[in-house]
Amino acid sequence: MISNSKGSFINTGNGPALLPVDIGHKDYLALVDPVTAFWLLVKRNRLVDVLSDTQLRRAYIRKSDEFKKEMEDLRFTRRPSAVYFNPTERCNLNCSYCYIPENMRRNGHSMSKKELFEALERLKSYFRRTLPIGTLPQIIFHGAEPLLNRETVFAGIDKYGKDFRFGIQTNATFLDDQTVEFLTARNVSIGMSLDGPTSDIDGRTRHNWSGESTYKKTVEAMERLKGYAGWNIISTITSENMRQLVSLVEFFHSHDVPSCMLNIVRSTMPSSKEVKPSDTDAVKYYLSAMDRTYELYKQTGKKLIVANFANIFLAIIAPSARRLMCDISPCGGGRFFFALSANGDLFPCSEFVGLSSFKGGNIFQDDIEGVLVSSPFSIVTGRKVEDIEPCSHCAIRHFCGAPCPAEVYTMHGRMDKTGAFCEFYEEQTRYVFRVIADGRQDAFLWDDWDKGTKNTFTIRQFNKPHHIHV
Amino acid sequence: MKTLKKVKKQITKKGKPTRDVISYRKACKVNGTGLSHYILKSN
Repeated sequence: MISNSKGSFINTGNGPALLPVDIGHKDYLALVDPVTAFWLLVKRNRLVDVLSDTQLRRAYIRKSDEFKKEMEDLRFTRRPSAVYFNPTERCNLNCSYCYIPENMRRNGHSMSKKELFEALERLKSYFRRTLPIGTLPQIIFHGAEPLLNRETVFAGIDKYGKDFRFGIQTNATFLDDQTVEFLTARNVSIGMSLDGPTSDIDGRTRHNWSGESTYKKTVEAMERLKGYAGWNIISTITSENMRQLVSLVEFFHSHDVPSCMLNIVRSTMPSSKEVKPSDTDAVKYYLSAMDRTYELYKQTGKKLIVANFANIFLAIIAPSARRLMCDISPCGGGRFFFALSANGDLFPCSEFVGLSSFKGGNIFQDDIEGVLVSSPFSIVTGRKVEDIEPCSHCAIRHFCGAPCPAEVYTMHGRMDKTGAFCEFYEEQTRYVFRVIADGRQDAFLWDDWDKGTKNTFTIRQFNKPHHIHV
Repeated sequence: MKTLKKVKKQITKKGKPTRDVISYRKACKVNGTGLSHYILKSN
């Protein structure tokens, strides 16, 4: 007869694995189960009591299978519901870190109306087969610069307005009154890009082919969009703007930007490597900017949501409610979304558009179902932290996900390596835990972030009868 | 948006953390939310 451990103790045999993590808080440290992403924040002087508490251990054991299944469902069973749709390969800007190759942006193909309609028709048909009834798939016109093909894009939005939720990511240089009126009247979400609070800083990385900044036009577009709920700004953190991130969030806050993303640069193209900051520098300035958003909220009552940062809170508090899928492994590329280039080629994510070996097929020639299981897609959808060192034994691997596979492949020619910003994600997670320990998380999250969620575990008061609610 | 008075009250009320152990988790089963570079309005 085989004798198995009864799981009577934490961290041995079949007992739950709860790894201690120093989160840099003076009173608390974290205990994290790397497999289920379950966590506890424990007062430093109560660690021994917690580790030997029978009620707590039993309560977690009762839930651990459910949490494990929740993570497996999130990581391995979902189907795409969004497409990054490039209606043109061309761009009127030449930003330093763009992941689309220069030749494409200068001379690339733009979809005809017929091609765009056919692509949307095929996507509509695919999503009807795969998504639950009532779920509207999302199409994000992306780039290059989608508004260089404005008439075609607008025709698609008008024709398929009932079949998709539309969004557009633009450099804002074509967001004139007429364009804004068209998009807002149709409830299209508008994302624009801006990297600095001044023309000088923004222009270091974002400029046209002659090297001139387009800051003025972006700020004009921001004014036009004031009062519209569905717009946001994406900024790319580079060595050129990281020192001004505090000023940047102040600028966004004062311009009533509803939400933004501060995305660390992805070094998928040689030019982007030139503006890549070090982890240590980038995270220092980034977290100062997060401190500043909290101060601004305290002073004014108005939040500036930094969506990619808010997403880390969700990863910890409500893993299956996360909205963005870069910081989970496998990442969202080819699983929650995929990218369509202007000639119909399909890639797991926009980041791969310049890497031809990751083309999984063509929307005009191949079945989307087949493309999603093609070898180029499978390499991305199969990349998981368990196969990467040191992620395989990292306690916070499900709050980070070791992004980004496109960048990793470009750097190493293989997938089983960490991303370029391991320490950045590590420090970001520690910061989020400190915020949770201090009970300040609401300041960083959307007001209705927990709509549609349910409590699955709560500790109200440690060491009291019935203190754990599961 | 909450009024400034409400925000200040809420933040002041939080005070110093006193609980020995903090842990909670929520679950959500909604399809169609996962993106990368972009945030849609409902997000």
